[in-house]
Amino acid sequence: MTTSESAEPYVDAGEAVDQGRLSGKVAGGDVAPPVTENLTFERIVDARSEPQNWLTYYGTYDGQRFSSLDQINTENIKRIGPAWIFQAGVSGIIAGTSTYSFEATPLVVDGIMFLSGWDGWVWALNAATGVEIWRYKHAVPFDVSLCCGNVNRGVAVAKGKVFFVTANAHVLALDATTGKRVWDKTYGDVRAGESGTMAPIVVKNNVIVGSSGGEFGVRGHLDAFDLETGEHQWRCYMVPKPGEPGSETWPADGEAWQRGGGNCWLTGTYDVEQNLLIWGTGNPAPDFDGEVREGDNLYTDSLVAVDADTGQIRWHYQCTPHDVWDYDSMSECILFEKDGRKLLAHFDKNGYMFVLDRTNGERVSITPFVDRITWGAITRDGQVVPKVYPEAEGVAVHFYPGPAGAKEWTHAAYSPKTELFYVPIQDVGATAARRRREFKEGIPYWGAGVAVDIEEAVGYLSAFDANGEEKWRWRNELPMCASVLATGGDLVFAGEPSGEFNAYDARTGELLWQFQCGSGHHSSPVTYSVDGRQYIAVPVGWGGWAEGFLPGMLGAGHGSALIVFALPEDTPGRGDDD
Amino acid sequence: MTTVEEREDLLRRLGLGGQNTAALGRLLNTGNVAEAKEREDGVMEATIRIRPDEICWDPSILVLPHGGDLELELINDDLNTHCALLPSNGDRKFIWLVNHSRGTARLNLDGPGYYWFSSPSGNDEGRGLTGAIVVLGDVPPEARLDRPDQPRP
Repeated sequence: MTTSESAEPYVDAGEAVDQGRLSGKVAGGDVAPPVTENLTFERIVDARSEPQNWLTYYGTYDGQRFSSLDQINTENIKRIGPAWIFQAGVSGIIAGTSTYSFEATPLVVDGIMFLSGWDGWVWALNAATGVEIWRYKHAVPFDVSLCCGNVNRGVAVAKGKVFFVTANAHVLALDATTGKRVWDKTYGDVRAGESGTMAPIVVKNNVIVGSSGGEFGVRGHLDAFDLETGEHQWRCYMVPKPGEPGSETWPADGEAWQRGGGNCWLTGTYDVEQNLLIWGTGNPAPDFDGEVREGDNLYTDSLVAVDADTGQIRWHYQCTPHDVWDYDSMSECILFEKDGRKLLAHFDKNGYMFVLDRTNGERVSITPFVDRITWGAITRDGQVVPKVYPEAEGVAVHFYPGPAGAKEWTHAAYSPKTELFYVPIQDVGATAARRRREFKEGIPYWGAGVAVDIEEAVGYLSAFDANGEEKWRWRNELPMCASVLATGGDLVFAGEPSGEFNAYDARTGELLWQFQCGSGHHSSPVTYSVDGRQYIAVPVGWGGWAEGFLPGMLGAGHGSALIVFALPEDTPGRGDDD
Repeated sequence: MTTVEEREDLLRRLGLGGQNTAALGRLLNTGNVAEAKEREDGVMEATIRIRPDEICWDPSILVLPHGGDLELELINDDLNTHCALLPSNGDRKFIWLVNHSRGTARLNLDGPGYYWFSSPSGNDEGRGLTGAIVVLGDVPPEARLDRPDQPRP
């Protein structure tokens, strides 16, 4: 028994309580209604028929980030204003304190919002009022390996549970009504530099998650876990072992494949009819030193179709063979149809728009979508011709786009109404000099010294048709670094690094409305409705890998707010239908 | 070559290990290091104190042999009121520690890695009441990459 240093008995301080109990909640207010209890795979497949909800990461499996909601439209957009704001704030000391960022996509199910933040936070909020219902906080090690900031991009929901990954590479299921942990599995090795940042998706009875850690020389993978039990179902590595298909694209006598990269660090899309997960993969490792990994380095920088039941690769298309510019192809593949063909569109870091036949991965078209591309060229028949790259040790070279790409992870949108893709574009270059280093597990493995341009960095929001023809462009003095949302009101929403949240006419690109949110945008806005009122929700919080996509704003203030906009409640003609 | 004893002497001579000597507060992590004990049921246990006028957790670095559950006894022997905000899966744990009080905290941590804890009152955190819980070990075998063992630093 512990004794006091004085004779007087200790005051009983009791037992430490959950910090969330000290957040002003009213008794009984910490339980959410069971809105996800009947949220099945079939409902997610048919998510477009529930425009009042945002049921999965991209809104629908096809990755279009389009909602048919049209209460807010080109006619009345000027009247919207903040309906409520959720401010999470930061307390204590967190990993990557200087780099945390609010990068999530909120999900909404029948009036309840499920939202993740940085550093292991998940919240359930009343989607009409912003009142916090419950919170979950995973303890994230201060020393966890983070490539690009303390960030998380969202949750998945189904069958009464909320699924998310943590920075220390766990995947968890929470009870959607209480936020209590149901199961918790480790799916990555933090000692190898792996982490987790992406939003899971639910497909059938599985939750699908991918690995982060592309700058640490890991071996990227995609995993499936049973929704109910958390039992591991399959793993698909994106770098083959010797003897496996694709291994011929790695040095036969070396160890390069063991640390080859190819991380699945962003959420993929899902082709329901073919039962294919279509996932983009990350850079090979080391990022810039290609000499130690001769060959095309499959399946890095690739669009990979994976059987959702077995985890087997069905087809692939590599956007940047033997990448030495850090041109991950992790970005979304937007599924669409044209002239009866089942296609996908992908806007790659390397500056090219790829349209593929998604039944077999065959090339349909390749078109540049950014003005400045100097690293090399890809011909219309798919031939890749490198021109400028860090080749000689210590010799600096400059190239466009920089390593954050002409489009970073933030998402494009596609409106089936206008048949246009809306793309946030970064026109930024970088200088890199190869600096070879010995591989050591858990230590960054870039193989270069890299500095992204500070003085001259611009961007635009562009609309392209399926042929890659640019229909309009809205130019910005800074790169566009946030996801785009398209709606049935013929509106396109996109945030700026300087804090403005913008609404554009989807057909002309005219800027119709703007609101200064107080911090830069690096997240994914969504729309939903509750009791007939349409809302636009955008997480706001600058940070993350700013040194990669916009180092000129490394000194900008961070934020941690979710801002939700709506028309005034007394708006004439505001319908009550969903 | 610097030894532990020399470091302690240097901290004392420079006044980095106390309040309002060299700096205003006590430099972080100039306190003691200790290991938690593991009980037969697998739960780990340890005691952390705040000694009078030291504005430092003792130990300020607590080492756990592996991830799991920790029962922590917290004692405030100081002549001022403090508190503790502690890492744990589910939610951080908070306890108020008035002068001459004793309480407990039950924590669950994954590891490997280390986690901060502190007294978030006034500027207790900056003046010295910030510590670390270090969790040793490796991730479960099933979570490791399918590749040969790699060189480490």
